Amino acid sequence: MTDHGVHGSADHAGGEARAWAWVAHLRDGGTTPWAQWAGTGERTGRVLPGAQQLELLRRLNLIGSPDAALAERVLRASAPGRGRPDLELVGATPSASPAAAFGPAPVDPADLPADELVRVSALLVARAVVAADPADRPDDLAHIAADARARWQARTVRWRPWRTRYRLAGDPWLAEHWRHDLRRRGRPPGGGEGAETFVLASDLPTMLADLWTDRAFSTRAPVPGWSAFLAGLAEHDRLPRGIDTPRAVRHWLEKVGGHRVRLVVDHDALPGLVGVRRLPPPERPGADAVELARRVSSSLGLLVTPDRGRRLLRQVLLPTLVAAPGPALAIPPEQHRWVARRSRRLVRDLPQELRRSHYAVVGDPASLGVRARDLARAEPGLPDVERVLGLACRVLLAGPTTRRGGDSA
Amino acid sequence: MSERVLLHVGTPKTGTSQLQEVLFRNREALAEHGISYPAERFDAHFLAALDLMALPWGGLETEAIGCWDALAQQVREHRGTAIISHEILATASRSQVGRALESLGHGSGAEVHVVVSARDLVRQIPAEWQENVKHRSTISFERFLAQLRDPAREARIASWFWGVQELPDVLDRWAHELPPEHVHVVTVPPPGGDAGELWRRFEHTFGLTGLELDLDVAKANPSLGVPETALLRRLNQQVNPVLAPPDYRPLVRELLAHQTLSARSRSPRLALPPDVHPWAVELSASWIAELRRRGYDVVGDLDDLLGPPAPEHWADPDAPRESQVSGAALDALCAVLLDNARLRGEETRLAAELHEARERIAHHERRPLRESILTFVRRSAAGRGLHRVYRVLRGRSTRSA
Repeated sequence: MTDHGVHGSADHAGGEARAWAWVAHLRDGGTTPWAQWAGTGERTGRVLPGAQQLELLRRLNLIGSPDAALAERVLRASAPGRGRPDLELVGATPSASPAAAFGPAPVDPADLPADELVRVSALLVARAVVAADPADRPDDLAHIAADARARWQARTVRWRPWRTRYRLAGDPWLAEHWRHDLRRRGRPPGGGEGAETFVLASDLPTMLADLWTDRAFSTRAPVPGWSAFLAGLAEHDRLPRGIDTPRAVRHWLEKVGGHRVRLVVDHDALPGLVGVRRLPPPERPGADAVELARRVSSSLGLLVTPDRGRRLLRQVLLPTLVAAPGPALAIPPEQHRWVARRSRRLVRDLPQELRRSHYAVVGDPASLGVRARDLARAEPGLPDVERVLGLACRVLLAGPTTRRGGDSA
Repeated sequence: MSERVLLHVGTPKTGTSQLQEVLFRNREALAEHGISYPAERFDAHFLAALDLMALPWGGLETEAIGCWDALAQQVREHRGTAIISHEILATASRSQVGRALESLGHGSGAEVHVVVSARDLVRQIPAEWQENVKHRSTISFERFLAQLRDPAREARIASWFWGVQELPDVLDRWAHELPPEHVHVVTVPPPGGDAGELWRRFEHTFGLTGLELDLDVAKANPSLGVPETALLRRLNQQVNPVLAPPDYRPLVRELLAHQTLSARSRSPRLALPPDVHPWAVELSASWIAELRRRGYDVVGDLDDLLGPPAPEHWADPDAPRESQVSGAALDALCAVLLDNARLRGEETRLAAELHEARERIAHHERRPLRESILTFVRRSAAGRGLHRVYRVLRGRSTRSA
C-alpha cells in the first residue's frame, strides 16, 4: 500500500478498517503517521497490534527497510515487565462502542514517549541477540576453530610452569576485558598461591562509568539508569569494592599478602606485568549504547539464564554497540561535588595505605585525582532516550554483530 | 490434544491461592477422573505465566524460562480436561493471549474455556494496597488511591491494578474470540455469608462437584488490619535500604505479616474512605452492566460485585491510632524475639554438631601411620597382592585363619 490515503487530517476517518489499512501500509514500509492516515482496508490478523508496536515499525521504516519477518516480530511483540500495556489506537474503536469505555485510554502513536518504544525494541534486540548466539550455530567453522583453540589452550596451560601467574582485580570492566583477551590467547588468570594480583585503578569518573557499564552488560540483577545509579551511590556515600581502590587493595592484601599485590595505575605497564607484548585498548561503549545494553539485559534476563545472558551481552551485543556514535558517559552535574570529594579522599588515602602496607604501585596515584572544575569542563555525556531508540532501531535493522573467539567474557 | 481446557486467568485476591493449592494437592485424585492439573511444583503455573508475559519477578523469571511451552505441551498431550490457573494471567496482552490460546489448542480441536473469579472493587482496592505494602511498598493509601483514580493510569501501580482487575477489559483481551458460554465469571460472595460458598462456585465451574478431594489447605494471604498495615509501611521505610529481598520475604512478609500481625483480628479493617466508596460502587455498576450485556456464564451473582456498604466508622491507615500501632509493634517485637530465641537454640545445636564432626575428623587424622600406609598400599591390585603375601608370611592370613 502506498501513501495514497494521506489527506492531512484524520478527523473524519475512523474505525477498525482504517487501522487495518494503516497496519498494511506500515508492513509495506510506509511512514505516514496515524493521525494523517485515511485509507481503509481488510482485517488481516487476529487482533490489531498495539500503538507501541505500530509506531516502532513506523520508526524503523523511517530509517531503513525492515524485512517482512522483522515487521512481523515487531507487530507481535508486547513490552516486557510491568508498565503500560499495549495501547489501542485512538479512533480505531468508535467512542460510542461499549468496549471503548474500558481499558487504558487509546493513544495517537506519535504521542507515545520514546521510552515506551524502547521497552518494546529492547525485547526485540534481546531476542535478536539470542538468535545470533554463536554457540547455537554448530556449522560455524570459525566459531568451532576458536572454541577448540581456547579449550586446547586451557587444557595445556598447566604444561607451561614458567607462565606468568596473575590475577586481575579492581575496575571490573577493564579487568574483565583484559582477562577475556588473555584467556583467549592461552594466558588465563590464576595459578594458585604464586599468582600476583594486579588491582587496576583509574580516576573515579572512569571507574564509575566502567562499573555501570559492567553491570549493564550483565543480567543478574536490575540496574538503575546512570543518574539514579550515581545518586544511589552518593546517597550512601559508599563505593562498591571493585572501584573503591583502597578497599580493594586492603582486601587483596589480607587475602594473598603484601608481596603479591600491586596497584596498577599506569595501564600501559600491564602487558609487561602479565607477560604479553600488548593488550587491546579498553572497549568503552558510549552513553546511549550502555543504556541500550541495560535495557536489553533486563529483557534478556527473561529469555536465558544469567550466565548465558552475560556471555551474549559481551560476545554479541557489545561488538554491535561498541562503535555506535554518541557521547561517552560523563558524571551529571548534580554529582560533581560528591565525585570530586571521593576523588580527594582516594588520593589522600592511597599514600597512607601504601606506607602502612608496603605494596607496590605501578604509576602515579596522584593521577587518580579529579577536581569538580575538571568535571564541569568535561563534555556532557548522559544517555538520551530518543538516541537510544534510534540505536535500537539500527541494531534491529542491521542485526547483531557476533564476536568469535572461544571462551566468552 | 485436551478435549477441554479450563483456563483460570484471574483475578488476584479472589481465593485463587486456595483453589490452586487444592488442585495441586489433589492432582492424582483429579487424574483418576480424567482431569489434569499439570504441575510438578506448586508455583508451576505462576512460572508459566511469568514466561508467557515476559514478567520479571524478583529473580524467579530465570526459573520461568520455557515454562509456558512446557505447560502447554502437557495440556496438549492430555486426553480429557486440563486446568490451568494463575491470577496474574489477567494482565496478558492481546498478542500474549493469542499465543497462549494457540499453544493450548484453541482453533485446532481443543475447547478452551476462560474462567475469571471476581470480587467487588470496594474490597479489592484496599486489599491490593495491602499487598503492595507486604511487598516493600511505602506508598500511602491516599497516594495509592490517587494513582488508581488518575484516568491516565501511567503510574506502574495503576497500570498493573487495572490490568488485572478491570473485568470488562481483562475478558475483552482473553475471551473476545470465545463464545460467551465458554466464558465463566465466578463472583466472590459478599462478606459475612457461608464460608464454603466460594468453593462450591469453583467446584461447579471446574467440574469438581462430587469428587473426593482433600480440601484441608491453609488460608493463604491472610489480611491485616489498619494499624498492622500502617506499621508494616513504616517498617518498610526503615528496612528497605538495609534488608535484602531474600531476607525480607521470610522475616517481614512471612514472620511478621502472615504469622504475627494477621492474627490480630480485632483491629479496624481496611476499607475505602467514605468519599471514594461511591466512585468504586459506580464503577463496579458499569462493569456489571457490561458483563450482563456480553452474556457470559455467571457462577454466583453479578450483584456480588457491587460490594458492601461503606463502614460507619472509617479508620484512616495513613493516620492510624498510635496506641493500636504500638500494640501491633509490641506483638511484632515479641515474635522477632521468640524467633531469635529459636534460632539461638538452633545455633547451639548446630555448634554442638559441628564440634562433634570436628572431633571425628581430628580422630581420623590421628590414625596411626601404619594404617595410612596400609590404606595407600591396598589401593592397587599389586599392593593388595603384596599385603596378602606379607600376611601369609607373618602367619596372619585370614584365608588360613
